[in-house]
Amino acid sequence: MRMRLKLKTVFVLYFTVSLLGLIYALMQLGQRCDCRGHDMSKDQQISQLRGELQKLQEHIKTELNKKTDVPKIYVITPTYARLVQKAELTRLSHTFLHVPQLHWIVVEDAPQPTLLVTDFLAASGLTYTHLHKLTPKDRKLQEGDPSWLKPRGAEQRNEGLRWLREMGAAAEGKEAAALEEAVVYFADDDNTYSLQLFEEMRYTYRVSVWPVGLVGGMKFERPVVEDGKVVRFHTGWRPNRPFPIDMAGFAVSLRLILTSPQARFDGDAQMGFLESSFLQHLVTMDELEPKADLCTKVLVWHTRTEKPKMKREDALQKQGLGSDPDVEV
Amino acid sequence: MPKRRDILAIVLIVLPWTLLITVWHQSAIAPLFAIRKVCHHLVKEILIIPERLTIHRQRLADDGTETRHDTGPATDSKEYCSQDKDIVEVVRTEYVYTRPPPWSDVLPTIHVITPTYSRPVQKAELTRLANTFLHVPNLHWILVEDSQRRTPLVTRLLRETGLNYTHLNVETPRNYKLRGDTRDPRIPRGTMQRNLALRWLRETFNSNSSQAGIVYFADDDNTYSLELFEEMRSTRKVSVWPVAFVGGLRYESPKVNAAGKVYGWKTVFDPHRPFAIDMAGFAINLRLILFKPQAYFKLRGVKGGYQESSLLRELVTLSDLEPKAANCTKILVWHTRTEKPVLVNEGKKGFTDPNVEI
Repeated sequence: MRMRLKLKTVFVLYFTVSLLGLIYALMQLGQRCDCRGHDMSKDQQISQLRGELQKLQEHIKTELNKKTDVPKIYVITPTYARLVQKAELTRLSHTFLHVPQLHWIVVEDAPQPTLLVTDFLAASGLTYTHLHKLTPKDRKLQEGDPSWLKPRGAEQRNEGLRWLREMGAAAEGKEAAALEEAVVYFADDDNTYSLQLFEEMRYTYRVSVWPVGLVGGMKFERPVVEDGKVVRFHTGWRPNRPFPIDMAGFAVSLRLILTSPQARFDGDAQMGFLESSFLQHLVTMDELEPKADLCTKVLVWHTRTEKPKMKREDALQKQGLGSDPDVEV
Repeated sequence: MPKRRDILAIVLIVLPWTLLITVWHQSAIAPLFAIRKVCHHLVKEILIIPERLTIHRQRLADDGTETRHDTGPATDSKEYCSQDKDIVEVVRTEYVYTRPPPWSDVLPTIHVITPTYSRPVQKAELTRLANTFLHVPNLHWILVEDSQRRTPLVTRLLRETGLNYTHLNVETPRNYKLRGDTRDPRIPRGTMQRNLALRWLRETFNSNSSQAGIVYFADDDNTYSLELFEEMRSTRKVSVWPVAFVGGLRYESPKVNAAGKVYGWKTVFDPHRPFAIDMAGFAINLRLILFKPQAYFKLRGVKGGYQESSLLRELVTLSDLEPKAANCTKILVWHTRTEKPVLVNEGKKGFTDPNVEI
């Protein structure tokens, strides 16, 4: 009996001590523990990291435009003279100015370079090439034609490709090596591009693809990706085209363009087949590289700008009272 | 039976000790919770880190088809902060593509007030507008949504741009025409939002502060040149300049005489308005806004084209106006309008995934 009593007491004591310890530990949770040693090293690391962050931010500012070892992006933009041309090119240039290693190839639909575009490009601050190629009359859209009647920009884009091929043939050594990694993108002057898009397309081996917003009569069109490969295209209009994708939805590596001299845009192609006429010479669907988070994010929008109403202006011009035609708009 | 009692005793002894040990372990790393928060914050701040500058490279996504390392999308910073990893191993989690120019203590701040509303092209418009603003030093963007509460789309967009911004919202009540009443009681779009921004400015800045500022009303579908912002920075009271594609003309402009003073308006649409100018054609010095705290855009009963006058007539007279853009001979801003996208193929049920943000 004595043994039992002892055990009971010991047990009770033991239990009480444990309980007190538990309560003490719970109270400790609410306050910081006095593990200074452990904290110090973490604090040090944090301040080190902060310092690093500052250094990096400074470094980035100076490095952004000097970055020479990322692949170059050649952007081919066909353009034509109309009222909103300067405005479109202006806001497009504001986007491009943020993208490192971008070379803008502007191809005018004109018999010779216009003063407006020449002056604009010179003042833009971008690296550019100014070309021009007139669309033959029978392929040109007439006043009053709906915009989808004839494919636009085919001749201008082909001219851009021709210039690139010429440059590729003439380059040698380090320049030629740099061209191997470069990427070509066809950017219309009225679309909207996010800055992330250019980083997505920069590393393209053959042809990379991504969704495009506000096109094909839908909120967005996109390639459907399964197991990292494009299996079909999600589009509401003629999905049976070889490549039912908008001009803004793909980029081609320069290497592939230089090694496929027969690849060009067919100006006589049926409505909606312009992109296919070019891409079918270059890749098959399973070779496409999906970008933008496996084609789930919209990083480019096929916006279109309204044609400004000029009824008053036209009436006034007839009376000789219109706005000063010498002022460039 | 003694055996059962023994077992019971052992269990009852061991249980509190295990509890104690686990609790002690927890309490030992409680202060690290605080550190974890800092870690999250810093990780989110580690911004543009091009490949070569990363402290420690790590593939974000294991994609078998990729032959090259490319800049992956943002991943959750939780991955790096949850375990007690060496913080120095933290790698970029949010890739930021650009930064505005560094803030200057000398340049007057340009407060750009932009009303916006949800529609399919909204994100595109705000994106390209932000790309323009990112070139302008000392720009403060006041974006006012026409909505009941601030939308996640705009919140995320503003945060990702890196611009200095203020995000407000006020919903314009949808009035309908009263039958028989020829007056249109509808409030013109954007008015309440602009007024809210003016009120915010008046509540945030007091007249005595030395903060030099210029207020400009920029709609989200117009096109602005960078030169425009430098022209307006030197505004003393209200400055004006030509605007393209308004009033059915190639451009509308103030009439400037040889002495450099505005004496009229070169417009066809009602040139006898007190201020026959578009919203994008003028900028106001912040001091003037603060000095006249009762000046707002008139909400109701404003004839088409008189909105700008309803505010400006309470602030200045014609002779106070400062002509910019080479005495109002250069076009630095275009009143472009974006076509409404035709979404016929969406159908009634919506063909595309509603979870994808456009």
